[in-house]
Amino acid sequence: MERNTQKNGLVNLIAAAMIFVAAFVVTCYVNSLAGQAASIFLGLGALVAFAGWFQMRLEENERLEKLEIDELARAKGESALFDAKESEVFPAHRAREQFEKFFVPGFAVLLFLLEAGGAWLLWRWISRTTNVIVPERAMPSLALFAIFALLLFLIGRFSVTIARLQNHRLLRPSASFLLAGAYVCFVTALGVAAVKAEFPRVDFYVARALCVLLGLMAAEMLVTLLLEIYRPRVKGKITRPIYDSRLVGLLGQPESLFTTAAQALDYQFGFNVSETWFFQLLQKNLAMLLLAQFAVLLLSTCVVFIDAGEQAVLEHFGKPSGVLTPGAHLKLPWPADKIYRYRTDQIQTLDVGYVPDAQSENEKTILWSVAHTKEDNFLVGNRESVTIQNDDDDTNDTLKAPPVSLITVSIPVQFQIADVRAWAYNNADPANLLRDLATRAVVHYLAGVDLNDVMSHARLEAAQELQSHIQVAADECKLGVKILFVGLQDIHPPVTVAGDYEKVVGAEQTKLAAILAAQAEAIETNALADALAFTTTNIADATRQRLEVSAYARAALFTNQIPAFEAAPSVYQQRAYFKAFADATANSRKYVLLVTNTSDVVVFDLEDKIREDLLNLNVPNN
Amino acid sequence: MKRNILTVVIGAVLILIFALLLFVFQVRQSEVAVVTTFGKPVRNLTEPGAYFKWPWPVQKVYKFDQRVQNFEDKFSENLTADNNNLLTSVYVGWKISDAAAFFPKFAGGSVPAAQRMLESMLRSAKSAVVGKHPLADFVNANPQDLKFDAIEGEIESAVQSELRTNQCGIEIEFLGIKKLGLPESVAQTVFTRMTSERQVLISKLQYAGEAEAQKIKSAADRQAAETIADADAAATRIRGEGEAEAAKTLPVFQQNPELANFLLRIGALQQSLNQRSTLIFDERTPPFDLFQHMPTNSPSQQP
Repeated sequence: MERNTQKNGLVNLIAAAMIFVAAFVVTCYVNSLAGQAASIFLGLGALVAFAGWFQMRLEENERLEKLEIDELARAKGESALFDAKESEVFPAHRAREQFEKFFVPGFAVLLFLLEAGGAWLLWRWISRTTNVIVPERAMPSLALFAIFALLLFLIGRFSVTIARLQNHRLLRPSASFLLAGAYVCFVTALGVAAVKAEFPRVDFYVARALCVLLGLMAAEMLVTLLLEIYRPRVKGKITRPIYDSRLVGLLGQPESLFTTAAQALDYQFGFNVSETWFFQLLQKNLAMLLLAQFAVLLLSTCVVFIDAGEQAVLEHFGKPSGVLTPGAHLKLPWPADKIYRYRTDQIQTLDVGYVPDAQSENEKTILWSVAHTKEDNFLVGNRESVTIQNDDDDTNDTLKAPPVSLITVSIPVQFQIADVRAWAYNNADPANLLRDLATRAVVHYLAGVDLNDVMSHARLEAAQELQSHIQVAADECKLGVKILFVGLQDIHPPVTVAGDYEKVVGAEQTKLAAILAAQAEAIETNALADALAFTTTNIADATRQRLEVSAYARAALFTNQIPAFEAAPSVYQQRAYFKAFADATANSRKYVLLVTNTSDVVVFDLEDKIREDLLNLNVPNN
Repeated sequence: MKRNILTVVIGAVLILIFALLLFVFQVRQSEVAVVTTFGKPVRNLTEPGAYFKWPWPVQKVYKFDQRVQNFEDKFSENLTADNNNLLTSVYVGWKISDAAAFFPKFAGGSVPAAQRMLESMLRSAKSAVVGKHPLADFVNANPQDLKFDAIEGEIESAVQSELRTNQCGIEIEFLGIKKLGLPESVAQTVFTRMTSERQVLISKLQYAGEAEAQKIKSAADRQAAETIADADAAATRIRGEGEAEAAKTLPVFQQNPELANFLLRIGALQQSLNQRSTLIFDERTPPFDLFQHMPTNSPSQQP
């Protein structure tokens, strides 16, 4: 009977390990977050199963050793053999004691670290990850998790019953883990099913709940370890293993809460209320259940749901038999009928000339002189260069740069799958081919245009021409796509020379500024000239007026002076003379020489005197 | 008994599934298949459907994608006819036209091996064709001088010819130049030249601006000078008119020329003495002649 228990332990270990590996593979296949948490849980279960099985082996060895010693003792009576040290006489007993003393606490600490670390790391990871369940892989993954749950339930239930009936404490931890693992796999399968039923966040919440469970298990393990330090050791008393989690046991067997009540009822009514009839039923119909599971799995491949925006090609033994549109469809089971889904309504984008960068997407300003993505340089024609080279043809310059220029372009091409059969069957890698065709169209177009033209006025035409060229090329290759938009969102000289192109714009502005300044000065010059001309003509007008008026006035005066003159010519002359003399010399310096009675020579110094202050200037000496 | 029947049913189902997997295989629309019996190709399947085969190791099925597959060769450097170094990359769309011919040529129908062979053919053809054309056939600001399509056609013809000669079971569906470029050192010289072109433009604009400003200023000066000259001329004419009008009063003075001359002299005297001047008179100048009869300091009497 003991040997059977040990075998049960080994079966538990193998089942836990295999299902852990299988669950991990399925999780990676379907990208389930809850699957990750379930895998950690199952991995811990495998470790516990290993520890339990190993301890069982040690106890079994000890039991055999004891039997052997007893047999020898009975056969030979008292012997010197039993005078030896205990460790020499009972090596298996000693090994078991050492194991319980050192390995079990160490394993419990390791278990605590794995549970705590797993809970913490998984919580952080699922908060940041962008992984989502792959819809087309959901159904097989769902079925596989359901199978895992069933297998774990059957094996776990069997082990739990054996452990309880035979009161085998070392089988209980792994059995509890298997049962709890069954429920965890079942919940994970429910999460995957919910995602399939358009509730994408359920998988995330299930993963979070399992993280909490791992955290609680870690807390329980920590408390158990602390209590273990202060636990009174009574020799010979069999204790519960530290790694046997009560929480996992409760999770695996919630009905154990009612065990006490059930035992009371058993006693009261005389029959086993707690008898596991469900397990007996399962044990009898295991094959049928497996077949039913397989049938359900196969039947599930007969129904296909095509999502909105999708189309699927249905193949009957590899031969295309139709295109399925959104909605529910029936088909023959796999592998007779297979479907291949394509997102036909989705507008897909491919980028020519650049590799989009998430960081640069957030930049608010895009400058020519700052590299904002990983950009390719394209060759482009350049008339300016050709003209300059033609002018200098007589020069023998071997290092002359080729008459081309380089340009950087960022061209997103948006397309839709218009003919899903053509997209699926004509080319092995249609998306990549479309990228090649688009790139070729851009290279071809740029090679035949002038740099300045394509950067300025020919830009819109370029976009239209490129769209037309790409569509024609795609049709020739029977890609079955419709090109919706070709955007020349960024065309500029390479970053190395972009600054010089900006300087040309600056020079243009400087030129305009010089012209405007000259125009302002011209306006000033002409305005002042107009004013001066106006003044000059006005002065001339005034002069003319003065000449005319004064001439007439003098004539009138003269006419009136004639009678006076004729009346007394000499007196009139003298009067006029003296009056004029007095007026004219009033402000003049006058010297009157009375020379009649002297022979002196009078000398006049009429030189102007220099001002004294000008003579007293002090000239500084350097 | 009931349990035994169930076990038999389950076993039968499992055996049936296993047998189906062993004896039946599917060929998809996008595939062609070659069936070999003990390594010898015996069937070439090009139509989709489910087919029977003997299980391994008697028969083996090799499936190939019969859709057009495309690959891109390396971005490689070649010399053009006018001695320019040009980097080119070409993409090729090819398909398996004859699976029976393709299968033995490439180690069990290895597509990567076929692509390696295609790539070597392609590079050889590309180098030959690029060497026959000047750079202007690849890049030209005048699109009518561009020979892009012709160059692609020449490369494709060369590769097709090689494939036909070797009977590889492959045919080229399309070929295109995907990328053109210059080696880094040449690209630097292009950048330098582009910078110089910009400098030429900057100088042009700068001196064009100064010249234009100079012209505007000069025109303004000329216009101002014209305006002032016109104004001076008009002023002179106006003054002349004034003089002429004033001259009309001269006959009045002719009535008594003596008086008129006397008055003119008086006027001239007044004007000439109007400025700051120093005058020296003797006693005979009227009105200072009055001093002649005034007592003066007589010379001392000689004893």
